Amino acid sequence: MQLGLNEDQRQVLDFVEALARPFASAPLHDAGLALESEELDVALVENGFLDVMAVEELGPVTAALVVEKLARLPFAVEAAASALVRPLIDPELPRPLCLVEEGRISAPLRFLRPGATVVVVGSSGVRSFTASADLIAPAQEDTLYAYPVAFLTGLPEAMTAHDADPAEVTRAWRVAMAAEAAGLLGAALASVVTYVSERKQFGRPLATFQAMRHRLAEAQVVTNSVYWLAMRAAVSGDSADAAMALLHAQEAAKRVCYDYHQFLGGMGMTLEHPLHLWTYRLKLLTAELGGRGAQGLAAAEALWG
Amino acid sequence: MQFEWTEEQDAFRRKIRDFLHGSLPDDWEKFSEHGPASPALTAFARTFCVKLAEVGLLFPHWPQEMGGEGLGPWEQQILSEEMWIAGEPRGGQYMNVNWIGPTLEKYGTPAQKARYLEPITRGESLWCQGFSEPDAGSDLASLRTRAVLKDGNYVINGQKIWTSYAGLADTCFLLTRTSDDHKKGITIVLVPMDTPGITVRQIPSLIGEGDVHEVFLDDVTVPETARFGEEGQAWEIVAYSLRNERLGIPRFTLARAALDRAVMMLKERGDFTREHVRIEAARCAALCEAAGTANYAVVQKRVDGLAIGAESSSARYATVMAERAVCEFVVEFLPEALAGASPYLKMHHQRGIVAGVAAGSAEIQLNIIASDVLELPREPR
Repeated sequence: MQLGLNEDQRQVLDFVEALARPFASAPLHDAGLALESEELDVALVENGFLDVMAVEELGPVTAALVVEKLARLPFAVEAAASALVRPLIDPELPRPLCLVEEGRISAPLRFLRPGATVVVVGSSGVRSFTASADLIAPAQEDTLYAYPVAFLTGLPEAMTAHDADPAEVTRAWRVAMAAEAAGLLGAALASVVTYVSERKQFGRPLATFQAMRHRLAEAQVVTNSVYWLAMRAAVSGDSADAAMALLHAQEAAKRVCYDYHQFLGGMGMTLEHPLHLWTYRLKLLTAELGGRGAQGLAAAEALWG
Repeated sequence: MQFEWTEEQDAFRRKIRDFLHGSLPDDWEKFSEHGPASPALTAFARTFCVKLAEVGLLFPHWPQEMGGEGLGPWEQQILSEEMWIAGEPRGGQYMNVNWIGPTLEKYGTPAQKARYLEPITRGESLWCQGFSEPDAGSDLASLRTRAVLKDGNYVINGQKIWTSYAGLADTCFLLTRTSDDHKKGITIVLVPMDTPGITVRQIPSLIGEGDVHEVFLDDVTVPETARFGEEGQAWEIVAYSLRNERLGIPRFTLARAALDRAVMMLKERGDFTREHVRIEAARCAALCEAAGTANYAVVQKRVDGLAIGAESSSARYATVMAERAVCEFVVEFLPEALAGASPYLKMHHQRGIVAGVAAGSAEIQLNIIASDVLELPREPR
């Protein structure tokens, strides 16, 4: 057991933090819910932060730490799939990477755009193709997610088959989503804590009312454990750990998203407050890989057969 | 960051398991239905702990100057986990080795150390903790049991409640009030339980026989030398003790073992094919593992020599969530377990429902998290 970060990991996170600092606050935005930054994306790629998993002394846990940290930003970045799943398929695959379950291609796909790599994972194996405009249908303009999303209209006739185990890719996919959720949960909680500590009613901060304190404290407990389960799953490479981590993350997301907006009252219904930038990403993650039930079944299978 | 035990730690765990395998009776599982504070288990523990001491497994985590092996917090964690999964055959003596011994060492007078430490190290003594009172539960600092110094003796009057092990304990680690200065007016007195004026009444409970008691103290008279630390020092000493015992019992391990047992029983009768049962079982497992990792993060701070703060409350609350989920899972899908079909699951249920009440209620943990982890502005008092 060694639950602390080593020197290398601390250094990587410090670099990521420095690089991400200019992107730490949300500009006012009114065109849709999702916020992206090409500049941030380019900087991450140029500095190799999405490729840390392949570095021997860094490995998957550092990749998970980077993903968790980036998810805390108000900007949506396609980091999770690239940093934690792509190395198992082909590290050269062009980004953004869109992972889709075979048989579930009608789902809204995060970051889907012309030029993106779509990876189809299922019983037929792991196959990919480069998305072209004719295979993409845009989502409604004011779609209610804080990720950019679009739909596939179909699959191309030819796809590249990869020499990768679909079960292993799915495992890594779960870890990636759990790490992303951990960061989103942490940032959403911090954002709510700031607001309710400042906003006064009845002459005192909202955060002094126990009705709110206890629910926020419970949210801290689950947020903390989502982080640890995600990191453990990244380190162990175990499929039960991965399924439990995403199950716990999706449970946590379901538990807190509604509460958080509730706590902000009217402000929680606006785009002026940035909370939605994290919660409306979390909402879409609760549907990832079939949702909680599917993660539960996968975990049960891995744990008890 | 890594979550594997070292080879030495694995070997240490095997040593404990082998010892338990060789020394617990064949009918142990049925026997452990007796609560940890029951007369039966207390009597058993008195011989079991002597054997544990003989093989060096009673207090291996104590520093060498106290006669221990100086093993670290991880080994203490492993020892606690294995004992608790096995139904805690040490009974109430786990308190001795986790916090009473180290606290005696730090704050005791030479005479107190000489009198109390050796029986602990032989595995022969049983303590109880006289903390809660009828009007001082979560609000412990409002306690009213009075100790008055008179002619070189403390004369103690008052009442304690929820005192585990009181019926059989040799000595009480008793919190008393020596002045009205709130936390600064509380003083610890070490009181032999056979002192005249002490009446113990067992409270029938859902958590097993002999587990909780009322203790009445009527003109209980002990010499001034029974005072532990200075007058008014109790709060500081208890805070120190709790640092040794902040995480408390590793309940998440028994919850997980109980879950595995329940799943095994469901599989045997062909009921573990239903999807909703499998999903719920996985949910419980995730909660147990979540509690485990949160607890380990706190142990890591001890290993690193860092002060343990409110994150231990977060770990405690995660454990409460896991215990609750597993208790509910068993009742919903294996109701017969609590009616005779599984002594082990019944034992778990009785111990599991205490998780959110014992050693500081779950709500108090949430208060601590709100104030000290989230740093929310404090509630008005």
